[in-house]
Amino acid sequence: MEEPVLSRFSDNGGGAGVAGLIPVAALALALPLIAPTGVGAQDGAAAAAVPVEEFELDNGMRFLLVRRPELTTVAAAWAAHVGSANERPGITGLAHFFEHMMFKGTHTIGTKDIERDLEIIAEQEAVQEKIRAELREQRRRYRLGEIDDPYDPAHRTDTLNALRTEFQELVEEQRELMVKDELDKVYADGGGTSINAFTSNDLTVYVNQLPANRLELWFWLESDRLLNPVFREFYAERDVVHEERRLRTESTPTGRYDEQADAMFWQSHPYNWPVLGWPSDLEVISKAQADEFFATYYAPNNLSAVLVGNFDPAEVRELAERYFGRLERGQREAPDVVTLEAEQLAEKRMTAECDCQPQLQIRYHAAPFGHADGYALDVIAGVLNGRTGRLYEAMVEGAEIASGASALFEARKYAGVFNLRSETKGEATPEELLVAWDQVVADLIAEPVPQDELAKVKNRVSADTYRQLRDPFFLMIQLAIMDALGDWRYLNTVAELTNQVTAEDVQRVAAKYLQPSKRLVSLYYRKAGAEAKETPAELEALPPEMRTALMSQAQAIATIEDPAQLEAVLQQMEAQAGQVPDEMRPALEWMRSVIEERLAELREDDGGEE
Amino acid sequence: MINRPQLRTLSALALLLGLAVPGGTQSGAEIVDHPTELTYGPLDFELPDADSYRRELTGGVPAYLVEDRALPLVDVTVRLRIGSYLEPVEQAGLADLTGALMRTGGAGELDAKAFDEAVEAVAGNFTSFIGSTSGRMSMNCLSTVLDECLDLFFSMLGEPRFDADRLDLAKQNEVENLKQRNDDPASVAGREGQWLLYGRDHVESRFATGSSLSAIGREDLAAFHRGYVHPGHMVIAAAGDFDSDELAAKLSALLDRFDGEGRQQASWPPQGAAYEPAPGVYVARQDIPQGRVQIGHRTFQREDWGSPDHFALAMMDSVLGNGGFTTRLMKRIRSDEGLAYGAYSNFRIGNYWPSNLSVTFQSKSETVAYAAKIALEEIDRIRAEPVGEDELRTVKAAAIETFPNEFDSALAVAQVFAQDEFLGRPHDYWRTYRQNVEAVTTADVQRVAERYLSPDRLVMLIVGDWEAIEPGDSDGRATMAEVAGKIGGGVTMLPARDPVSLEALTPEAAEQ
Repeated sequence: MEEPVLSRFSDNGGGAGVAGLIPVAALALALPLIAPTGVGAQDGAAAAAVPVEEFELDNGMRFLLVRRPELTTVAAAWAAHVGSANERPGITGLAHFFEHMMFKGTHTIGTKDIERDLEIIAEQEAVQEKIRAELREQRRRYRLGEIDDPYDPAHRTDTLNALRTEFQELVEEQRELMVKDELDKVYADGGGTSINAFTSNDLTVYVNQLPANRLELWFWLESDRLLNPVFREFYAERDVVHEERRLRTESTPTGRYDEQADAMFWQSHPYNWPVLGWPSDLEVISKAQADEFFATYYAPNNLSAVLVGNFDPAEVRELAERYFGRLERGQREAPDVVTLEAEQLAEKRMTAECDCQPQLQIRYHAAPFGHADGYALDVIAGVLNGRTGRLYEAMVEGAEIASGASALFEARKYAGVFNLRSETKGEATPEELLVAWDQVVADLIAEPVPQDELAKVKNRVSADTYRQLRDPFFLMIQLAIMDALGDWRYLNTVAELTNQVTAEDVQRVAAKYLQPSKRLVSLYYRKAGAEAKETPAELEALPPEMRTALMSQAQAIATIEDPAQLEAVLQQMEAQAGQVPDEMRPALEWMRSVIEERLAELREDDGGEE
Repeated sequence: MINRPQLRTLSALALLLGLAVPGGTQSGAEIVDHPTELTYGPLDFELPDADSYRRELTGGVPAYLVEDRALPLVDVTVRLRIGSYLEPVEQAGLADLTGALMRTGGAGELDAKAFDEAVEAVAGNFTSFIGSTSGRMSMNCLSTVLDECLDLFFSMLGEPRFDADRLDLAKQNEVENLKQRNDDPASVAGREGQWLLYGRDHVESRFATGSSLSAIGREDLAAFHRGYVHPGHMVIAAAGDFDSDELAAKLSALLDRFDGEGRQQASWPPQGAAYEPAPGVYVARQDIPQGRVQIGHRTFQREDWGSPDHFALAMMDSVLGNGGFTTRLMKRIRSDEGLAYGAYSNFRIGNYWPSNLSVTFQSKSETVAYAAKIALEEIDRIRAEPVGEDELRTVKAAAIETFPNEFDSALAVAQVFAQDEFLGRPHDYWRTYRQNVEAVTTADVQRVAERYLSPDRLVMLIVGDWEAIEPGDSDGRATMAEVAGKIGGGVTMLPARDPVSLEALTPEAAEQ
């Protein structure tokens, strides 16, 4: 449900020496909550401003500097103002894939012999071109129903296998010339940490942290990879991205369903495909497409850099001109995303069954970044969230139908989305959550929010403007994101503008955006064997805890593939049958029937195959 | 960062003179051909002196107070030498609930809702958490409302109410969480991996169940709190916009409010049940397209913070897989072969009992065996041959050059030194840290790898679709039979478990 911000790499969470690798995505996700700031409504408490020094090179690349002389480090980032929204069908996932490729080296970094290296890459491309032609044929066979998956290794033709072998030989040869992951190594040697990057729908950010005396290393390496990038290991990296997708989307309880919901929610806007891209696009993405993408979106006039830490601004300016000044301004401005989201006319609904807690998710179309209504939308989220918020009262503590509920306003560059997410508790259903939510919205529209409730939210926002200044790395990421979304000055004006939000604004904005016809309602139910979904008559006499336990056992049994295991369970039950109290007998019989049904199913499956 | 005013003046002066502050790079218009040719000035860093921040508050409570007037914020963190090791086994979850309810269950005169509103009114951030071997409560507030915040914070610490409604709610919500713990493969791997390496009786292996939660009542929380949350177990760290003498006096006065009633002395250090895992491959079935793999064995317990072996082990771990893209596991499994999004090692040394090694990755079912084969090869290789001088240089440089980051904020300084005191780690550890890292040789790395990595004791856990994982990939690069043969001990199917009771739903440990 959160904006899919993907980082190039996440740490295993173990080592002390690698702090800062995980937080990138998490921090960026936390942003919409932190950003809304407000001054204490009545007491007029001041909010903090970020002291940013700004300059622009002749080629259009912009720099934002925040000096922190008390530190021993500099946090440094540059943002390309491009994300998955800038893609088109056929190359979805390229912005994120490209982010991975930017770590593969340059003419200097990553190779022992650049000339031969470039020759091999050209030869590899020639083979890949033939592979893509073969894959076109595979897709035709797929359309005709001759094969069930054009990319399944089992369906590869002899030609395809031969081409793959030929390609693999070129990979081996190139490997001999490569200096593996040299960018990371040079940074590590120089005390660089948090060498990472992340991509969202709207932007791509490359981050680092360096000892203050090594700042020139950042200028050298970052300008080099913009000036002379070489996209090595292009096709092996594609497999890495497939694994990333399996990890983030396919092996999480609701990942694939959330992806479907996003695709349903955005009708015309390119936000409707995942940042990771559609898997079938990834299979055929080409280096030529990546080259074109780079030329279009990575020109200096589409980039901005952010430095937070201990440096001399005059020196930074000199370094920026010397290193990044070498980049040539793009021949034309990066194209804008022109497709507007079509107005939604009727409510959309998705009903899903998954291995997940039953839950309700709602997405409403809302204002984009910088829109005047954004401040009131943030205030609404503030009024709803937390243990003193309205959702807690209406769903968690008062009504006791939810184990948790939260709202989030997410202002993207081209359009916004207001999210509600809530998980059921006990026997409550997602529909009950929906009824409760609709009442919360009705109240927001009908009654002005009391002043103390409003003041609470504004107070919190005001204090958070100070907190956001504490961590230089966090501040750097916020500046980079805000700048790429439209204007970093948002950080310095949000408190005052939030403070101007009135109770009437909240009513007006709630009525404008939180309409049933402008939403997608996603109802999630826990997947169960059909027999376990309704409480079977045999179990009705049992205490609820035991009933739940038995039903989830039945669910587990439905997933067992090995008949021998089931036989063993049956035997175990027979052995214990004598000790079972009378009131439990029907339950025991029921469980036996569940196991026997599953056994019968498995035998049927076997028969079908033979 | 330490002598703030001094540093500021220095920078201002440097500016006036037109000098580059952080060491100064060579200011010519040239760009060197390779970044390794860049030269740098020295880094302006002086190790802060722990003793200059240390205070003893009422009752001998140690506190590290570090002033930082840059922003009008104050952080206070209280660490407690307590944990779930003190709770009865049949009440698993008691310590955790006590920690959580201290924050959410009201305090002093204020019921739960009123307390939450009072914290909101000062826009404070309060947390409270009790883990297996430590408790941690923290507050962050604007210095303009410091006194109000401290009052609330110490009310939370000293006189929590554990309002019954909030406890019921927390227990019900916890049951909902229990229901979900088989949904996410990471959660299954966490639990089963813990049990495989530590047995079922170890405090770190203890997980709440429906029945352990229902055995916990309000009085149990109050008793746990009364017994263990008191100044006798505390170490305090504070940083931000305050005067240290004034804050020390305030904290002492607040600590005086604790009465001695029902107070117990927690046994320290915590004890964990001994267990030696049975080597082998263990499988928890889950219908996902990726196998989630953990390979490891138990390690040892730290006895001496200055032992050269520990620094050599840290370097070995960094070469093998604990770090970024420069590690061997990441290079081979991700960069070369594209088999995984990430592959990592983590060699941990225990503070209270032998900890464990873990090598982890996730790969699509077909390539789990091949990626595992590579991981095992790398474990063998780092024992069989010395690491490259170049590899060692990189990991040593990374450790040494990033060392100042540990102290890069007033809060970090306070917390590092408080943690020293909590663990019994001498402050001097930091003074000699960089020399100790520098002293590690390639021979040291190989020696500790041979001594402390035990390929014949490995336990491998796979969460995933075994039928798809077992045969290996279509290119025939590896099968699970091959991997299991190397590990020894056979392949064992772990039972499916009811998520709430954790009872086995299928027969325990059916060996194939």
